[in-house]
Amino acid sequence: MNMSKVVFGFFVLLALTLNFGFFIGEIDNPDHHNVYELFAALVVGLIATVMKLGERSQMSAMLLASSLVVDLHLIAAALVWAIAVHMTDAGLTPAVMATIVSLSGGALLANLLSVVLLTMETAGYSR
Amino acid sequence: MNSPVPGDAHMALFFRRMRAPLVVLITAYAIATFGFTLMPGEDDQGNPWRLSLFEAFYVVSYTGSTIGFGEVPYPFSPAQRLWTIVSIYLTVVAWLFSIGTIISLLQDPAFIHSRRRSRFRRAVAGLSQPFYLVCGYGDTGRLLTRALSEQGHAVVVIDHNADKIDALSVETPASPVPHIRADARRPDNLELAGLRSRWCLGVMAVTGDDSANLKIAVSAKLLNQRCTVYARADEYRVADNMRSFNTDHVVNPVEEYVRRMRLAIKQPAAFRLYHWLQSGPDARPPASRRPPRGRWILCGYGRLGCAMHAMLVDLGLEVTVIEENTDLPGLPTGTVQGRGTGADSLSAAGVETAVGILATTRDDVDNLSILITARDLNPDLYLGVLENGLSSHELFRAAEPDLIAQPSTTIAGSILARIASPLFASFIEQLLAQPDATSDELVERLIEISGPQPPELMTVRISEKRAPALARLLAEDVPVSLDALLRRSPGGPPREAVETLLLRRGDREILLPGAETELTMGDRLLLAGRSGCSRRLRGLLENDNRLARALTGQDLHQGWLWTRLFGRPRITS
Repeated sequence: MNMSKVVFGFFVLLALTLNFGFFIGEIDNPDHHNVYELFAALVVGLIATVMKLGERSQMSAMLLASSLVVDLHLIAAALVWAIAVHMTDAGLTPAVMATIVSLSGGALLANLLSVVLLTMETAGYSR
Repeated sequence: MNSPVPGDAHMALFFRRMRAPLVVLITAYAIATFGFTLMPGEDDQGNPWRLSLFEAFYVVSYTGSTIGFGEVPYPFSPAQRLWTIVSIYLTVVAWLFSIGTIISLLQDPAFIHSRRRSRFRRAVAGLSQPFYLVCGYGDTGRLLTRALSEQGHAVVVIDHNADKIDALSVETPASPVPHIRADARRPDNLELAGLRSRWCLGVMAVTGDDSANLKIAVSAKLLNQRCTVYARADEYRVADNMRSFNTDHVVNPVEEYVRRMRLAIKQPAAFRLYHWLQSGPDARPPASRRPPRGRWILCGYGRLGCAMHAMLVDLGLEVTVIEENTDLPGLPTGTVQGRGTGADSLSAAGVETAVGILATTRDDVDNLSILITARDLNPDLYLGVLENGLSSHELFRAAEPDLIAQPSTTIAGSILARIASPLFASFIEQLLAQPDATSDELVERLIEISGPQPPELMTVRISEKRAPALARLLAEDVPVSLDALLRRSPGGPPREAVETLLLRRGDREILLPGAETELTMGDRLLLAGRSGCSRRLRGLLENDNRLARALTGQDLHQGWLWTRLFGRPRITS
């Protein structure tokens, strides 16, 4: 067993699960979506991106690209949240919440692709 | 399973090394931000209040970067201050770790090496003009690089010696010279230096090591059939080996000196021309003194001494050898033991009655000393000397021998003459077959044209592509003779100080064609003139108007309208 592969797989998978945890629930209900979960998903997503840097195979290029998409989506979601709550008087209205959650839904897709790619790579490796 | 994507190896290395510091940095920021949101505090009304994630990230951002705006938006509670202390140490340590890693990475030899290679690869790939690849940056390589870049060629240099490459990076050549420290014997390094590039015109294997030169020549011939390979070989065996797989031009310095010395004795005028045109850009025409016939003294019986001895004996001259090591195999009888630097050994060899002396030891100081001592004993001697390295060139010039044999200028000069024109080799061959008076006349004319520096050689090809203006005239059946092209009026002063050395028409070659020779399509001319003449002459061959004015003295109507109104004028010369 390769410890670095375990750590790598752990972060990629954790990014997906946290993302999913935030995404699940009614799309416009703020009570169903915890802001700490979004924070955790973003931090783990960033770490997963860093872990993928510097690999030169075609597969890792794809992994890195999907990871960057995740970061982009989640940072956008966090920005929408910060602007809505702190910079305007709007607060977390259902419309704002729906925007945030749908952005995280995009990130979820990219995270899912990461895990699929990683699984494919692992499956090919053992053959 | 995955093929590595070709790209910048040093960037991949950078990111791999930065992985740990970046993860630490992100984690530290995440912990500090998260912790702040948990610490209980009070707002200005005394109500319980906690930082939101957004405010917490704001506080951590300015604390982590040591900017420090203070406690916003409300003064912190003791618990929040405690967490501020924790987050300061956490983030500052994480930053120190990251920056330390970056700095140590930038100084890492592996990283520097990989970055240099990528930069060199980019520089070579960015060359969009024909270039020459010089392997080995010793005296010869430097001469070649300087001369080629002054002629406007791009040059790529590869040498395994760091000092030589460093010396190149502080020089300022006329055109770009990408260079790298790498072993030219390895084909992948040659490929890195652009051997397979379609712009690679020629490869010069001029390192000081015969086996390295051989390896470079083989690799170049195998990896790129179109490029021309010039190689140096000190041993006859290696030179023969190189010629066996079609190395385009092999220079063996010893062979070349012997050839020149033989010429100097048999055809002194041809020798002057040969030596002057093939000794690099700084050559001066050698003195016209002819080596006298009589008894010669040869100091040193190494590879050169041995070959010189055989040549002199072959010409029927009497030779006395002075050699320190009398155990050498094949030493001729009557050899005087000694170094030749002292008057005793020179007198023992009969310097007073000799006509010439050749100092061919491997030590430059010994050679100089032989020269000066021998001249003291017999001022009428013909002095020939071998100069092994270029570093004491001023001393050798000051000693004023009749002939200096210098490996780097000989090799570089021989290669440069062939680069200047593919017709040069057959010109020399034809000239040597002529009586010496022809060469004598020619060398005096060339000195008149270009002064002491060697004339610029150029090839002119009469074709649609290379001489469009002239080709259009010839297509209209206008006869153009050499004279009309190169002189202001028949028999008048030359338009351009240029001497026509050779004309190749199909399989026929005409040495020194007469002024009345008429040009036809497909002709190739070898010309020699003052420096810069090739550029001016090219303008004449490419520009209709300039050519017309040169041939008739009248301006040509140019442009579509003029041609329509007045018709295309016929030019008759």
